[in-house]
Amino acid sequence: MKKLFFLLSIVALATLELNWPPALKFFYCQPDLLLIFSLALVFYQDFKTALFFAVLSGLIKDVFIPQTLALNAICFGVFSYALYRLRRQISTDEPYVRWGIVFLVTLLTNIILGLQILATGVIISPVIFLRNLIITSVYTMLLSPLVFKFTKKISA
Amino acid sequence: MFKLPRKTLINFILTVVVVLCVSNFLSCIKNPVQSAFKPQLSFIGLIKREVLGLVFYHRNMLLAQSLQTDVERLRWRLFNLRELNHENIRLKNLFAFKQKSSLRFLVAQVIGRSMDSWNSTVLIDKGRYQGIKTGMVVVSPQGLIGSIVESADHTSKVLLINDPNQGIFSIVQRSRQKGLVSGTLGSNLIMRYLPDEAQIEIGDLIVTSGLSQVYPKGLLVGKVVTLGREFSGLNRYALIKPAADLSSIEEVMVIVS
Repeated sequence: MKKLFFLLSIVALATLELNWPPALKFFYCQPDLLLIFSLALVFYQDFKTALFFAVLSGLIKDVFIPQTLALNAICFGVFSYALYRLRRQISTDEPYVRWGIVFLVTLLTNIILGLQILATGVIISPVIFLRNLIITSVYTMLLSPLVFKFTKKISA
Repeated sequence: MFKLPRKTLINFILTVVVVLCVSNFLSCIKNPVQSAFKPQLSFIGLIKREVLGLVFYHRNMLLAQSLQTDVERLRWRLFNLRELNHENIRLKNLFAFKQKSSLRFLVAQVIGRSMDSWNSTVLIDKGRYQGIKTGMVVVSPQGLIGSIVESADHTSKVLLINDPNQGIFSIVQRSRQKGLVSGTLGSNLIMRYLPDEAQIEIGDLIVTSGLSQVYPKGLLVGKVVTLGREFSGLNRYALIKPAADLSSIEEVMVIVS
């Protein structure tokens, strides 16, 4: 039953991301809700469930972007695993630590996605590259408490 | 001699295999997942349109009044233009010019937008079953919107002209100066590789050249807003404001033939 809720949550968050209101986009950037959800699952679920739903979230995101390489699925999976390992090393109960983790993971994911696009020979101005990195990461970080709360509720 | 441990090698090969499997799997699930998302995306689009209609009722009423005035004015102009068109056809026939075939459109609703900031795409509610194929051109009454990059059974993905992966061979309408227009992921487009002596000015209209296989000739791309010199110093560039408002498109027309 809980797993069905997770699946429905992924569908709902993906729908929300696909229909993110233009008025709530800052400098053409929007938060990555599916990434926050996949990270939040690591805190509230066992590792296998979290990893499965992280890869699924990444795959759903990959379906709706034009690139053919499933980079989001791989990134989401790898970062879930990395977070699971990190949780055994340091305490991640403080909200600021979680904010920091979400910021770093979003930054790294965006660096990888940006570099993948640059590797195809496309020219992106450095200003727009930095805008996508920083604003998306900060925006995702700011919205993370809401998604964390939501994940905690459906995990309980 | 540098030697890789067997375990590292196996892990590396396994990782590569997993990446390739996941990427292959992606193409198999694209169609069913997009079809599964279509109903709720269409429903949300409908709700959004209705809510916005209610919220902006007063603005829409004023807009409707001003548009009504425009319609009356344009009706007169259309009458005059029809006369000119008839004259044009007569003269073309007289000089045995080849008649340009008219384009056929398919109207589609935008049901979803790009999920990240690295791409500029929209999802439309028409797909292969409605005759949409990859590579078809998408326009709006204001101007060029983009081209189809993927078509599923009932949905298609449109790569907008402000995506950096787009490359549109265009010309300046006034001077016929050629240049390559591509997206910047921002609000403007950029026309690159303009020589020093390029005849281009702020306010010039940019249209498709028709030299590429994808875009028909004469589609309005946008208007020049800024001119500058590229970092290398070899060429000039022009920033172009797209004719269509790409951030708020709701309906598009796909050129099917």
